[in-house]
Amino acid sequence: MKTKFAIVTLFLTLTMGAVVSAAPKSGARKDTPPAAKPGADNSTVQDTRLEGELRFRANCGRCHAAPRKFPPRLMATVVRHMRVRATLTDEDTRLILSYMTE
Amino acid sequence: MLFQKNAAPAVCLALVLAFCAAADAQTDPNDAKPFPVFTGTTSYFTRVTGGVVQDSPSMSPLLLYPFGDKWLFEAKGSYSDTFAKNKSNAWEGTMSYGLGYAEIDYLANRYLTVTAGRFTTPFGIYGERYAPIWVRALQTGPLISSLARGSSNGGMLRGGFSVNPEIDFNYAVYFSAAVTNHVVTSDRTSGGRFGVFFPQERLELGASFQKSFQQEHSRAEGVHAVWQPNAIPLSLRSEYQWSEWRGSGFWVEGAYRLSQIPHGRPIEVVGRGQKFYASRLKPAALTKFGIANMKDTQQADVGLNYYLPNDVRVSGSYGRQFGINKDTHLWTVGLTYRFVMPAFPGGGTR
Repeated sequence: MKTKFAIVTLFLTLTMGAVVSAAPKSGARKDTPPAAKPGADNSTVQDTRLEGELRFRANCGRCHAAPRKFPPRLMATVVRHMRVRATLTDEDTRLILSYMTE
Repeated sequence: MLFQKNAAPAVCLALVLAFCAAADAQTDPNDAKPFPVFTGTTSYFTRVTGGVVQDSPSMSPLLLYPFGDKWLFEAKGSYSDTFAKNKSNAWEGTMSYGLGYAEIDYLANRYLTVTAGRFTTPFGIYGERYAPIWVRALQTGPLISSLARGSSNGGMLRGGFSVNPEIDFNYAVYFSAAVTNHVVTSDRTSGGRFGVFFPQERLELGASFQKSFQQEHSRAEGVHAVWQPNAIPLSLRSEYQWSEWRGSGFWVEGAYRLSQIPHGRPIEVVGRGQKFYASRLKPAALTKFGIANMKDTQQADVGLNYYLPNDVRVSGSYGRQFGINKDTHLWTVGLTYRFVMPAFPGGGTR
């Protein structure tokens, strides 16, 4: 029982410490670029692609190797499935889908 | 008392609906209209456990059926056969099958997804994230997997959202009814999981809890951590779980992709250490509620995965289990293949 409490206490302390240390805004994640639309300029497309890849590696790469890219309509379904299963944020879902269907 | 019992679900429903109405509407993230998908995994593994050879083909089909902008029906089945030689030196097979989940998801808004049906129990991280055969880095599961039921039948609220640019929060809370049918078995429980993810550090910390409302009315709790350092292709994950009646334990796993050496990119080296502490309750008390009386066990595994093109993977591992009475060698070697295709003809093409 003591071991359990020690582990839970250590975990909570680490969580609190991590939250507090991450709170300052300096060096924060850049504002999310909007999903690139047809006709968007190259820098916007590039920013979206880069951000999508980062989100993909951070979220999807936590559990599995990179899958193949599938046609957009299939990928839209797979990403919706992963949004539920992996509790992806709305923003991550949009950027990952954009990256995986480009 | 009767009023309170009847009012509780209505109050919860009202809160959920109010939350849905207040939040921004969820929009589909892309113009592409989702098309039903048939996917899944097939595998064939040979296992040698303490000198006993077993061959095990398996298949886990998964149907994803989206409808509208906010709905998804998903159902996953599992089938496996295990062949081993009996005392007469003849092969005998044991078939097992089940329904992992069959759920309807409603993407209410950016904060909330409502799920109903049969779903993977959101307790810890292994069951929901690492259990699929094509995902798991080592084919042998953690010893603490037995502490909580794998699937539940009922309702669940879940979601993930950004608190600020440096912190994402995710959660899942559920209730489950007791079902005794062997294909869709579940316990009467309630619980949930919460996680905090730091995208820049690629670090996730979380906790789970569960309360049983049948038989022994036990509690279970757990914590988990996942970290992918930015500098190297390493993934570290760990879980600790404690159950009031079934024991406790932890596992720590590391998977390193050899992408930094020439021709090493398809290769992944994996290692896992784990320990299980048996329940300290008297065996008679456990037997009364049909709980297996397990022993303290330690296990260490190392493995190698080779990723071939088209979602084919070759895996091999060696482990050693240290029990109270004897040690056991565990070997596995096999192949996994994940397939993804349109569920119906004529759809899903560019």
